[in-house]
Amino acid sequence: MTVDELSRIANRLRLDVVETVHLAGDGHPGPCMSIADIMSVLFFEEMRLDPANPRWPERDRFILSKGHACPILYAALARKGYFPYEELKGLRSLGSFLQGHPDSNKIPGVDTVSGSLGNGVAIGTGMALGCRMQGITDNYVYVIVGDGEEEEGIIWEAAMAAAKFELGNLIVFADLNNHQSGGHVTDLSSLYPVPDKWEAFHWHVQTIDGHNIAAIRNAIAEAKKVKDKPSVICCKTIKGKNIPYMEDNNAWHKRTPTAEEVEIAREALRDKM
Amino acid sequence: MSTKSTRVAAMEAIQEAARTDEKIVIISPDAVAAARATAFKEEFPDRVIEVGIAEQDAVDIAAGLATTGMKPVVVSYAGFLTMRACEMIRTFVAYPGLNVKLIGLNGGMLGGEREGVTHQFYEDVGILRSMPGVKILCPADAQQAKLAAKAMLEEDGPVYLRLGSGREPEVFEEGTPFAFGKIREVKKYGNDVAVFASGFIMDRAIAALEKLREDGIGGTLVDVSTIKPLDCEGVAKILEACECAVAVEDHNIYGGLGSAICEAACLYHPCKVIRLGLRDVYPRSGVAAELLDAYGLSVQDIVAAAKDAMKK
Repeated sequence: MTVDELSRIANRLRLDVVETVHLAGDGHPGPCMSIADIMSVLFFEEMRLDPANPRWPERDRFILSKGHACPILYAALARKGYFPYEELKGLRSLGSFLQGHPDSNKIPGVDTVSGSLGNGVAIGTGMALGCRMQGITDNYVYVIVGDGEEEEGIIWEAAMAAAKFELGNLIVFADLNNHQSGGHVTDLSSLYPVPDKWEAFHWHVQTIDGHNIAAIRNAIAEAKKVKDKPSVICCKTIKGKNIPYMEDNNAWHKRTPTAEEVEIAREALRDKM
Repeated sequence: MSTKSTRVAAMEAIQEAARTDEKIVIISPDAVAAARATAFKEEFPDRVIEVGIAEQDAVDIAAGLATTGMKPVVVSYAGFLTMRACEMIRTFVAYPGLNVKLIGLNGGMLGGEREGVTHQFYEDVGILRSMPGVKILCPADAQQAKLAAKAMLEEDGPVYLRLGSGREPEVFEEGTPFAFGKIREVKKYGNDVAVFASGFIMDRAIAALEKLREDGIGGTLVDVSTIKPLDCEGVAKILEACECAVAVEDHNIYGGLGSAICEAACLYHPCKVIRLGLRDVYPRSGVAAELLDAYGLSVQDIVAAAKDAMKK
């Protein structure tokens, strides 16, 4: 796919999120927008998946550790063909399989439960180890973590373990939008600078613009060249990206767009999808 | 009464099973020595995943491994596993029903008796019993622990095996069977009172039953080695026969065996049940026998509770 095509898919996913959260009347739209470009590259170019066989042992694995951003995961899975697009309307509703956070029990294409923050890197470490121990050497485990999420101690327990096991098949995206539920990450913690932390834990570290499709693509290629270390791709991003009233506005961490706001989003993205 | 380590016995079973099942791996948050898994590590060096002192990480890594078809056995101290990694067990192992086995060492006051509150764990069964989908085994001595470990590996899904310090009395004869999910009558001198016991306090329960017999009271002693799922049918039959009971465990009186027996009694055969365990307090360091006596789990305490249960 071309960079332009992947960028358009990212924006289509953004609009899917606005529309489905509006219909559901509940959800976290803002945190979806910062990872839309990463999701587009992973799901529509990079990952080895078979929607007809979601449990294919040799598939790539994907963990949305910041699970509250699941509306964009569900949109990507629907557009990838795991389930009909119409199912997105059921988000967070009794009777729908689309749970409020990613749920491997109920949703085809979801590899683990996630959304209790901090656990994705550790679970991904187990998946990467499990694949390697069973002789699957050409697949990858991708994890997206938020920046606020990296305040959780288990992130760093897992960082230590994955480095010790030299898991070159584990690639983590750190979505650095500098927002978390309660405000700016830089106000609530001393986490920043983030890349230094991962360096200190012996990971292969890159820092990119998380909205630059070519940069995301290149970073994955670079990460794959490193066979004896897990990789983290630190992505500078904007929460609410490309939705005018959401950009860098933490009020949209969890909020339902009105019908009028859906229209504004449609208008803003009309020529970009 | 001679002693044999439940830790050694359980690990023997796991090592034997690992010879024919290459998916079995041990996840250790620096617990290889504590779990007596050194011999396992020598035989299968690539199948011990040492994560360092990080129990939460250990459980999540086990969950990830299990999604790929591996059969991870996480070994750690009972409280570090069930309390520190509680949420990881609940959300990432129990909810998806992954095939992760959990071994908790030093279950109860026994085991951590000299260590004090930080290393004594009398909440583990209660915590796990409240989680849907987790099966709980509390064997009473080493040979039962070996059979329980074997049974654990044969069960699909999450199972918790409660082990002790490594100094457990051998209470049962060689060849005593272990049946997953079933209670077992250990001694039956009569139907005056039922004594349900679980874990390494069984020696005291046996002694109490003998003392009751000397006093002219014929009791039935029942080993409850599977706390969840509880053999409700078996428990109900015992209660129907005896009409009163004592539940004895090295655990807080809330949440463990006593609670489980009372719940079954309420539903299937209401009668008087006295719970003997730690009476909702934090104990202190001490020599094992003295500590159990000091906190209401002496043989005499069990005898007195049985007599109390028999009063209408």
